[in-house]
Formats: sequence, structure tokens, C-alpha cells
Amino acid sequence: MNYTFQFGVALAQLPELLKGAILTFELGLLTFWGGALIGLLGASLKTFGGTFLRGIANAYVIFFTNTPALIQIYFLYFGLPEFGIRWDNFTCVLIGLTLNAGAYLTEIMRAGFISVHRTEMEAAETIGMSLLQQIRFVIVPHIVKTIYPALANFFVVILVMGTSIGAVVGIDELTGTAINISTENYRWIEMFVVVAGIYVVLTFIASLSLALLGRWAFRVKAKVF
Amino acid sequence: MDRIIQQIPRFFSPGHLALLAESVGMTLALTVIGCVSGFLIAFLVVFLRQTPGLWALPLRLIGIAYVEIFRRIPFLVVTYLVLFFIQAFTSDASLFTIAVVAICIYATAYTAEIIRGGFESVARQQVEAATAMNFSRWQTLIGVIIPQSWPVILPPALAFAVGFIKDTALVSQVGVFELTFRGKELNNEGFSGILVFGTISLIYFAISFPLSRLGSRLERRLASSRSQKSRKRLRPA
Repeated sequence: MNYTFQFGVALAQLPELLKGAILTFELGLLTFWGGALIGLLGASLKTFGGTFLRGIANAYVIFFTNTPALIQIYFLYFGLPEFGIRWDNFTCVLIGLTLNAGAYLTEIMRAGFISVHRTEMEAAETIGMSLLQQIRFVIVPHIVKTIYPALANFFVVILVMGTSIGAVVGIDELTGTAINISTENYRWIEMFVVVAGIYVVLTFIASLSLALLGRWAFRVKAKVF
Repeated sequence: MDRIIQQIPRFFSPGHLALLAESVGMTLALTVIGCVSGFLIAFLVVFLRQTPGLWALPLRLIGIAYVEIFRRIPFLVVTYLVLFFIQAFTSDASLFTIAVVAICIYATAYTAEIIRGGFESVARQQVEAATAMNFSRWQTLIGVIIPQSWPVILPPALAFAVGFIKDTALVSQVGVFELTFRGKELNNEGFSGILVFGTISLIYFAISFPLSRLGSRLERRLASSRSQKSRKRLRPA
């Protein structure tokens, strides 16, 4: 028990770490929007598709939500080169995480889809709303109210958890940068305490701004804590 | 493709299967020990967090800070922190212990929120009635709050544990011999990545899928028993 903490060494690397944090944020955003597109498609298939299409969407969701994201990335990273497909590590992580997020987002969006009742659509038609008005005043408020809190939470989770997996295959996002620097200066504890602090601040900013956006734009109460 | 087919008999040799079975046991042991101990500690954290009175303010703050901080740090970072913290102070902790401690810390933070939600679902009048009957805080917890809130707490806590089976894959980074680490090892021995990680992902699926099905069934069952109870209560006497 004779370890002297030297946080100065870790704090001196703050600019490098913040560069990593930006990459974390970018990766999170890309994953989120990619996953949201897949989720939209998956939820449409599950809600409106026939037996076959619904089966495909179901199989996709069940498989990807029941296997670790890390294994999915390893599969792309170590498995695909055998078929002659060589992607760099960033592409592997991006595609792996997007497919993984897509499965979860399919379920979230499906909940939004089924929250709109047919009777409400009929009522809107009865009072003479055009299709655009129906979308604007009936469908969107319903869907947003159901899924916005879940989406906001999921974005924060993806941004935090998901992207740190990238460090495992050597991407220089926040965790990866910390590992790289620590292997040079051996200040593992200090580095990771600082990194943990950055993650807390980063996710706090993300969930706070998402909650404010939700309140301002959609009148949804999303939780910050 | 031919290479993969050639490797199949060698890959599924009894020795390898025994190794894989052993690492499945390791993955399950990590999850169960970590999550159960985390769940029990989480009760303590929630108990601290709900201590009334001004003198207990620091206790409440510690409870809140613990939950809010550890829910905002990726599991990988928590694992590294635990690894290097423990290794700075003692050099003879096994990697298994380190991984279990990391999982426990993480599970505590998440299940504490689940437990708090469950406790808050109990009607306030129930607690007030217990106070009026001079129940101590501990008696209120054991006799009034827990019996009414466990159907709310158990399903999401179980879902968390089942979901965590997948997250234990990250522990392979510190070198615990669980399923993912074994997969990487086999891949390094020269087995095809598709074969190895395909098999590993199927194993994870075979563990996780039935358990998550079981969990959602349990949830439906508890939910229906709850709504039946409330229906009974609503019926005029």
C-alpha cells in the first residue's frame, strides 16, 4: 500500500482525452442514427409486414439482443477477412454497434407504432383532417410521447457503453485513448479516474440537453437522472 | 469456406468442448455471484438513501452519488479501474475476484434504481400506517415494503442479470477465462474466426434466450397477479 497518486500526469493528457471524447460522441451519433434507420425499417416490418417479413424482423431482433455486442464486432473483425472482406477496425465497430443498436431500437419504435390506435385515426378523418394534419397532430405526438424518453435514454446508453467497446479493437475513442496513454506512462488508476469523470460529465450533458429538447420541442418529460 | 469445414472436426473435439463448457460455467458464475451480491448491496444503498433526518444527509448524498456516478461510466472503464485499484494495493487478488468486484459494483448501481422504483410503488399510506403503529424503519421494510414491492422489483432485476450475461464478455479484456476470452484464444490458435465466434455467439444465445423468455413470462405472471389483487380490492365488500 505504497502508491502515490499523481493526478497531474493524467490531467496533463486532458486535451488528448477530450479528442477521444469527441470521437466517442461522433461514434455514438453515427451508431444512433444508423440504428434508428434500421429500427424504423424493423418496426415497420414487424407492424405492417406479412408473416415472412415479420419473421425476419423477429429473428434479427431476437438474435442481436441475445448475443454480446463484443462478439458481433469480433465476428466482423476476425471472421469476415476469411471471405475476403477486409474492413478497418472503425468500420467493424460502427457496423457491429449499428446492427446491435438497430435491434433494440426496433423494439422501442414498435412500441411507438402500436401506441397509435385506429379509432383515433378514424376520429381525425371524421373531423376532416388531411393526411399531413393527421401525421402532424395525431401520429407524431403519440409516437414521440411514447418513444422519446426511451430513445433519449438509449442514446445515452449507446454513447456510453457501446462506444467504449471500440477500445477493445483499438479505436482511439475515450477509453481507447486512455489505454494508449496509460501503457506509456503507467498511470492507469489516475487516467481511468479522469476518464470516468469525463464519461460522467459527457453523459450528464447529453441527457440534460435531450431532456430540455424533449420538453421544449415535444412537451415530453424525459428524465435527466 | 473449405478451411472452415476442414476445421470443424478438430474444433469440436472433446477437449475443446470441455474447455468451452468450463468457460460457460465461468461466465455464469461471474454473472450470478456478481449480480446477486450487487442486488443485496443495492438494498443497503437504497436503505441509506432513504434514511430520514438532517444528520443522515451525507449518507443520502453518498447513496445518490454512488448510483448516479456508476450508472454513467461504461462497464469496461469500471473493470479497468477495479483491476488497477486492487492491484495497486494487493498483488495476490485473482482475476476472477477482480471481475466479480467490478460486476458487483456495476450491478449495485443499476439494481439500486430498480429497487428504489419498487419501494416507491408502495402506497405512502402503507408506510404511514406502519409508522403510526410504531414500526421501526427495519420492521417497516421487512414487514410492509418488501412484501408489497417484490413483484415490481424482481422482473426488471432478473432482466438486468440476464442482460448482464452478455456484458460479462467485456471482462475478457482483463484476462478472465470466460467464454469470450476462450473464443479469442481459440481464434489465436488458428481456428477460423467465423467458426469460433459463430459458435461462441450461439452459446451466448442458447444461454440468454431461454432465460430472457423465462424472465418475461415471470413478469407477465407477477403483473397479472398484481392486477387481480387490485381488482379484488376494488370489489365492494
